[in-house]
Amino acid sequence: MLAYCDRPWDSSIGKVAPRYGEATPIRLAVNAVMAGCEPEYLPVLMAAVEAMCDPAFNLYALQATTHPCAPLLIVNGPIARELEINAGVNAFGQGRQANATIGRAVRLMLMNIGGGYPGTGDMATLGAPSKFSFCVAENEAESPWPSLSVERGFDEGISTVTVVGAEPPHNVNDHASSSGIGILKMIAGTMRTTGNNDIYNYQEGTYPQPLVVFGPEHAKSVSDDGYGKEAIRQYLFEHARVPLGEFSRENIDNRFSRRYGADAPADLQIPVFKRPQDLLIAVVGGPGKHSAVFPTFGATQAITRAISREDGRPALSIADLKAR
Amino acid sequence: MSDELTLLVPEAPAAEPEIVDRGQRKASLDALRLGLLDNSKANADHLLRMLVDHVSVGMKVASVTTLRKGSVALPASETILDQLARDSDLVLSAMAD
Repeated sequence: MLAYCDRPWDSSIGKVAPRYGEATPIRLAVNAVMAGCEPEYLPVLMAAVEAMCDPAFNLYALQATTHPCAPLLIVNGPIARELEINAGVNAFGQGRQANATIGRAVRLMLMNIGGGYPGTGDMATLGAPSKFSFCVAENEAESPWPSLSVERGFDEGISTVTVVGAEPPHNVNDHASSSGIGILKMIAGTMRTTGNNDIYNYQEGTYPQPLVVFGPEHAKSVSDDGYGKEAIRQYLFEHARVPLGEFSRENIDNRFSRRYGADAPADLQIPVFKRPQDLLIAVVGGPGKHSAVFPTFGATQAITRAISREDGRPALSIADLKAR
Repeated sequence: MSDELTLLVPEAPAAEPEIVDRGQRKASLDALRLGLLDNSKANADHLLRMLVDHVSVGMKVASVTTLRKGSVALPASETILDQLARDSDLVLSAMAD
């Protein structure tokens, strides 16, 4: 399992909350074996752990919360294709070893190293199937837009892992709209929910980053009508809003009156995300007229890490990481 | 061939707790300066007020400093912690829901 680990097996990759157990390559490898990973997958797992241990990701809260969030891994770049991480048909579902086992290794690591065991370190009320495994690649070949990793500052050709503290997908079924604006309207409608952490669970200055995943057919229709990612963000910022009166009185008093004033009117439109630039957008999936919205835990920031060699240089291929 | 078998465990031990300087303890409970850290959970403020009412029965409270976290899901900021450390002899935090 350590054939593609170019660093000492006992070196520290990070301390995993809430137990703050130390993640090392050897410990990750044990969990990866239990998950059914191939040795080539370990560098993806290591990059994901690095990303999750970034304080801005807020892993302590993501692990311990009652909310049903889980770290979603989105892999970009040539290594995603080399490892055959599914970006197409049924990408979030079953049927591909890389997606299933990398995601499963993440969860085993979160429990065995981080202490996120149900009922003690993980207090999720309902949990979610995505807490079993939650890993995809972006369908860059069918995306009309710059990839998620390029948008997040990495060059084309650099392989990255982005972690998002997300809920499971909320589907947007739209077989009827043939226009970009029609599809965006349907996505905004799906985003507009009251039971949504992103709408309130943040601290001023650092804002939630919900994710919209476009299926390739929806992406093409939206792009063909002239929408780039910036225009999509602006539209959804303006239209994914919940009138204050839709919330219960107790929620208004406890969660909104401090921010919007005790006398805020019932028709005040509360944005699901605070700033257009915070919305994450990716293209994933196969044929069909579906997209998905992923609310997040709220108080978490998506983190992207390049899959890199020990000296910090990005790996162009998994072979670059072969143990010496 | 070695007969030695190496067993690897998937778990990591918990991080060693960090020893922190607990600072100067007050010699008496007179003129206690109370700090309240409202974690911003629903009803945490009510719970803290009840606690203050009860504490005030048994001892003289000189001041109460109440600060609220920006988000229940994030640690208290350094600014909040510094102010509580400066202005309080005893800090109560609350979790309620």
